[in-house]
Amino acid sequence: MSDRKMRLGAFLMAGGHHISSWRHPAAYAPAGTSIKHFIELAQIAERSKFDMMFVEDAAAIRERNPDMASQAARSTMFEPLSLLAALAVNTSHIGLVATASTTYNEPYGLARAFASIDQLSGGRAGWNLVTSASELEAENFASSGLRPHSERYERAEEFADAALALWDSVEDGAYLSGGQFADPSRLHPVHHKGKHFTVEGILESPRSPQGRPIMVQAGASDVGKELAARTADVVFAASQTIGEAQAYYADVKQRLAKHGRQPDDIKIMPGISPIVAETESEARAKYQALQELIPDAVGVALLASYLSIGDLSAYPIDGPLPELPQTQAMQSRQKLIVDLGKRENLSIRDLARNFAGARGHWQVFGTPQRIADAMEERFLAGAADGFNVMAPLFPSGLEDFVAMVIPELQRRGLFRTEYEGRTLRENLGVGAPAKR
Amino acid sequence: MIHLGLSLTPFGHDSTAWQGANHEALGFDALLKQVLLAEEAGFDFIWLADRMGERPVDMLSPLATPFEPTTLASALATRTTSIGLIATAATRQHEPYNLARRFASLDWISHGRAGWAIVAGTNDARDREYAELVSALWDSWEDDAFIYDKTTGRFFVPEKMHVLNHKGANFSVRGPLNVNRSPQGKPVLAAINGSPVAHLADVIFVLDGAPIAEVADERAEVRIIKSVTDFTGPAEDVADIFEREAESGIDGFVLMPSKTADLATFIETVLPELRRRGLLTTPPAGGTLRGRLGLPYPAHPSSLERAS
Repeated sequence: MSDRKMRLGAFLMAGGHHISSWRHPAAYAPAGTSIKHFIELAQIAERSKFDMMFVEDAAAIRERNPDMASQAARSTMFEPLSLLAALAVNTSHIGLVATASTTYNEPYGLARAFASIDQLSGGRAGWNLVTSASELEAENFASSGLRPHSERYERAEEFADAALALWDSVEDGAYLSGGQFADPSRLHPVHHKGKHFTVEGILESPRSPQGRPIMVQAGASDVGKELAARTADVVFAASQTIGEAQAYYADVKQRLAKHGRQPDDIKIMPGISPIVAETESEARAKYQALQELIPDAVGVALLASYLSIGDLSAYPIDGPLPELPQTQAMQSRQKLIVDLGKRENLSIRDLARNFAGARGHWQVFGTPQRIADAMEERFLAGAADGFNVMAPLFPSGLEDFVAMVIPELQRRGLFRTEYEGRTLRENLGVGAPAKR
Repeated sequence: MIHLGLSLTPFGHDSTAWQGANHEALGFDALLKQVLLAEEAGFDFIWLADRMGERPVDMLSPLATPFEPTTLASALATRTTSIGLIATAATRQHEPYNLARRFASLDWISHGRAGWAIVAGTNDARDREYAELVSALWDSWEDDAFIYDKTTGRFFVPEKMHVLNHKGANFSVRGPLNVNRSPQGKPVLAAINGSPVAHLADVIFVLDGAPIAEVADERAEVRIIKSVTDFTGPAEDVADIFEREAESGIDGFVLMPSKTADLATFIETVLPELRRRGLLTTPPAGGTLRGRLGLPYPAHPSSLERAS
């Protein structure tokens, strides 16, 4: 038997991943402004030996219509890098991964902030690189609107290169060396002049304890997968069926060779939204309790935002999705939704209710054995190296997973019982960049 | 009354203070130790000056903390309870939307102890637009916008969210900010004496003995804080200087110790003398940085409109 272990991420959100989680009697509705809440969640995940915790991001509110926005909890949240820094000094082993945009940041500032979090955490920081697909974000930065997909990725490629160069700008042992405060021979100023950026200089911090922060991506388009194959250590993905997940997994892994990388150099971790209980019917009841809290209009608005279509309310809610125009925004998620609707013959209402649980990610309900079975199947079938666990409700959904599913995975030898190392890179087991 | 701050460095503000020191001084724990020392002594704030926005080209500075200031402030916030945390950020290094989020978030993480020391660039009009824009983004939500009503399913009152739709000469920002209005209403804004945005600042730092330029018209709403590099003489002499400065309109001092050990000396010798003379305030426990500095809570524009 192989000793290959699953990688697990705890994808944290304020109230939970379910759109109406904040309305649940067990939910702490102001969780999005409670640092105590997030420290507790990270510590729960750390006690269970999760590889990492993860937060998503958008540099805008999520919904244009104020009436719709005001009925969901997703409009406001901590800015992810300040959140990560706070978590860094209140945890000791768990990886800390936050999303940040290459479209609305500059390489120096972002590389510096992640290097700082990496120092604060002793080598546990990770950056989920996104190019930001929403119009609402674009409108917070310029009057010229959302840049085309290809242009965003061109900028992202150059951004990633500049960040990597900056993380290599200070060599190990550069500080307090040979009677000098800094050894100039161990400093490697970046001189980057590209189409999108000019970057000059060095970062003012020691080299990362893990070489450089972990790079994470979730791009599902062709250029997105190419960028991941070249630069990422971890890839998140949204897949509904095992077939979709296997195809995605094979596609990303086969792209690695031409960049001189091994298949194991990238860990592919699709999202899973588990609802676990001692019995199947209890699990269903937990799910239903959340589903009953979704106002139809709010569910449909969420679906519309992921389809990058302004409004779905003009279409009959019990009819199928209309034909959609090609989008500049989240092309792959749009396809996932359209495919799901066709495959299962779902109406707009059905799709919206399905989507409200985990925004298109894989949802599994049932006993700990059943959820472990489902995870094991995909893990062994070339569909996943691990999973990004999206509890529908916090903290109870994470507590349930930790109390019931983790021990089952450990019993099967699929998940660690102790951390292998102190850095995120060591625990993930992804190749260390060469020491400089 | 005198307010006290500490400009945090790993070794001290003297460029030779690192000599003989070890790597530990560069780490978070050593910096936290300094901050806790200042907090326990009753200091109102620490300031992460960040080389005033200067980025290293090909050499490391012993005066720089090896952390980005907003992330360091956030980490310190969770390990301290009462001291204010003022982080420097330059207007040319951050998009206004990102910066407004970062500091609003820091204000939540610190329970109302965050401050932004603004480093202006070379274009005064741009800097003014920038600072006003950030301030307006902090007004995106009224104080009581978030009601969390589980029964009706209303997370916030839509009328109490304010979309900015700012279109200026330098920036175009729709808004609203995606962080709740923060515990201080707005984080404290600090500027350097003579800065093009000094008229918007809550705190003005007067550095290197420079004369105080014309500051805000309403003296009650701004605190003038002077930098002090040498405070190692006899306690009575130092206290005399502080007292004289305070009488001439200085509201407080930010200490820039030559070497970090000077902080402990100051706390042991000068602080008791200042206290004996009744020059130090006793801040309210668990309060905000605004509260400590005696600065008013910035009323939301909508509540002002309703009141008028």
